[in-house]
Amino acid sequence: MPSSPEIILGIIQALILMALSPLVTGIMRKTKARTQKRVGFSIFQPYYDMIKLVRKDEVVSDQSSWIFRCTPWVNFATIGTATFFIPVFLSHSPFGLVGDLILVIGLFGLARFFTMLAGLDVSSTFGGIGSSREMMTSALLEPALFLAIFVVALTYGGTNLSTLVEAASNSPLLPHPQLIFAAIAMFVIILGETGRLPFGNHATHLELTMMHEAMVLEYSGKSLALMDWSQSIKQIILFTLIANIFVPWGISSSISAVPLGLGLLAFMIKISIFAVSIAFLESSIAKWRLFRIPDLISVAIASSLIGLVLYYL
Amino acid sequence: MNKSNLQNYIKEITDSFSNQIKKINYKNNEMYVYLKDPNDTSIICNHVYANLNTKLATMICTDEQKNGDGFVIRYVFEKLNDDVFIFVIAHLGKSNSFPSLVSQIPAAALYEREIKDMFGLVPIGNPDLRPLVLHEHWPNNIFPLRKEFDLKTKVVRQELEYPFLRVEGDGICEIPVGPVHAGIIEPGHFRFSILGENIINLETRLFYTHKGIEKLAESLTLDESLLLSERIAGDESVANSAAYCQAIEKISQIDIPNRAKKIRTIFAELERVYNHIGTLGGISTDAGFAFGSARLNILKERLMQLNESLSGSRILFGVNRIGGVRCDISDKNKKLIVERIDEVSSDFDKVIAFLKAKSSFMDRLKGTGMIPKKIAHDLGIVGVAARCVGIDVDTRHDHPYANYVISNNRTPQQIMHAQIEMEKRSGDALARFEVRVNEVRDSFKIIKDSIDLDDDGLYSNVPVVIEPYSSALGYAESHRGQTLHWVMMGEKNSISRYKIRTASFCNWKIIEHAVLNDIVPDFPLVNKSMDLSYSGNDL
Repeated sequence: MPSSPEIILGIIQALILMALSPLVTGIMRKTKARTQKRVGFSIFQPYYDMIKLVRKDEVVSDQSSWIFRCTPWVNFATIGTATFFIPVFLSHSPFGLVGDLILVIGLFGLARFFTMLAGLDVSSTFGGIGSSREMMTSALLEPALFLAIFVVALTYGGTNLSTLVEAASNSPLLPHPQLIFAAIAMFVIILGETGRLPFGNHATHLELTMMHEAMVLEYSGKSLALMDWSQSIKQIILFTLIANIFVPWGISSSISAVPLGLGLLAFMIKISIFAVSIAFLESSIAKWRLFRIPDLISVAIASSLIGLVLYYL
Repeated sequence: MNKSNLQNYIKEITDSFSNQIKKINYKNNEMYVYLKDPNDTSIICNHVYANLNTKLATMICTDEQKNGDGFVIRYVFEKLNDDVFIFVIAHLGKSNSFPSLVSQIPAAALYEREIKDMFGLVPIGNPDLRPLVLHEHWPNNIFPLRKEFDLKTKVVRQELEYPFLRVEGDGICEIPVGPVHAGIIEPGHFRFSILGENIINLETRLFYTHKGIEKLAESLTLDESLLLSERIAGDESVANSAAYCQAIEKISQIDIPNRAKKIRTIFAELERVYNHIGTLGGISTDAGFAFGSARLNILKERLMQLNESLSGSRILFGVNRIGGVRCDISDKNKKLIVERIDEVSSDFDKVIAFLKAKSSFMDRLKGTGMIPKKIAHDLGIVGVAARCVGIDVDTRHDHPYANYVISNNRTPQQIMHAQIEMEKRSGDALARFEVRVNEVRDSFKIIKDSIDLDDDGLYSNVPVVIEPYSSALGYAESHRGQTLHWVMMGEKNSISRYKIRTASFCNWKIIEHAVLNDIVPDFPLVNKSMDLSYSGNDL
């Protein structure tokens, strides 16, 4: 049974993820604006946007059912739950007893399932198109994600995130070349899961080209704020996972003030660097044709498979 | 224009159709064929279209009931290899219908539907008689361009549904897009029939912002109509006002000073450059490459600032006047233009080189939105959309105006190279991208070539009274393509009929054919690469 400071720290970790997630989005937007020679708005703009949306009224289509109305809450609940299993600055997450990496992926899957239903539910054509495109990519992304995770799980012995991160922070990367391939796969998958370029374009206003945005097109007010927030929490969770599994430097393994502080600092620096580099990547690439996206995912699958083979060699 | 050529054409037509023709004459580069019987229109038009190497430029209907002529339809054919316009003129008399040309000349379809809406004349034989300009909410028996219709009439809205073409089958869905779009663009409705992501059929429905420009002009003075012509589409203001001014100048038979010609050319090219660069930036945005569009939009902004310091207007309003130009270019401004253009063109080359090296960007353009050459030819499309499939039409060369000249001193080898270059163009978004890039570079060159201004004044005076019911066709090449303005004078210097045919009106139809090999998410890119105007279409 975890001790009470551990439980408190676990809750703090989850809250930090939720609280910082809009900031990561803000940093990425600011970086993209700067690379495009624009001033861009403040990195805190996503918070202001959320406050604005919460104050606004909602418009709900009369064609929609309960699915449309409950989806933002299902999204937030599932993705919010997932934050509890993620080691942020303490390698040992106290809630690891009840859930592992597979559960986190499952929770994401549930959230996505409801989002797709909501897209179909409002019977607007754009929602339907968005859902069908999301199904096409997620049917390929999820197996790729599992493969990448299996490589990591085999290497470190288990899918429990605390075990994974602890093992990772104690062992150097060099003896495990398969992890490099898993990291490449994970990176591609994260771009797809968070709808970044070349998969999707967050900045577009063109309904016909949208993927994730098309599914949430009908949302407004508080529901939209929840959907946006859930999406950025999912993004920070994925960033944290890749940062703490593949570059676990600086993460604290003991409950004392100094290592914890250093761990938090290291986490924030890693996430910021990661966010900025993805934003740079997004600025340097055009959106790919829709039917070329499976090619990119197959790169991720192939990379994970190479990792698997390397593990058994 | 060559007078002896004109005589030859006249002779050819009189020889074959002496029985059907009442009279035939010419003025400037326009040749008029008056028919005895409107039922002969299709024979003569088909002959002109098929045997004289022409394309249907526009169809102009006028209400001349006051003069006892009833409705008159003028079929304007543009010779493709000579600076001649052939007008086939049919007086309908008391009849409320006219024979349709669609079966031989597909480009006539839209003009016939337009005439049906605006004048209530039925094209017999046109399979598609759905309303085009006036939507189904407009009462069936009110025809706004007839003289009896008063401009201030309030019409009652009627409720009807527009019959879109229905595609049926297993798994076929319809996506209605618009008329209100995301972002700041004008209204237009697109009805996609899709199978998965593949586009099976696309139907466009426009004219949501119909402004009644042609009707309005009939109540304005010549100078007021100039302002109106600038406002047909804000980004084509120089081209449209130049075409209008040229129509009036042609009617009153005046020559404008060389200085005015050169200034018109410079502003027309400045307009083309800033719009082309803006469109290239838009293509980059719609391909999801924000960096490229950011760079190009900086260049566009610099050019628009140049426009403002030259003319006081970022989109070059108030440059032209009848008989010349209103806005002079001083020596100081000449230097400013040259400096700014050198600066922008070197940056432009860098950005384009960068974009062409970007594989993900080029991949999006290549093979997207392929325009079939046969259809492009049949629909008589103009401008970049025509040039990108290798149809070499450009009003600046075909019918020189202002300071544009036909360069006859090309060697046969150069001509052959140009023809091979045209044949290579495939009609996809990449071809349109490249054609625009080349035109931007050409425009920079034209501006520099014209910068050496003469000292002979800004305008010639227009005669105080212009002969009533005289008419002429003005034309210019906007950045979208040829824009035609036909003006018929009324009594006391008023305008009796002002017919405008912009490039967008010709080109909107082609998008329905260009997207057929594409998937839904590529549509915005195809649309942007065509650079069609809603406002310029919805007159």
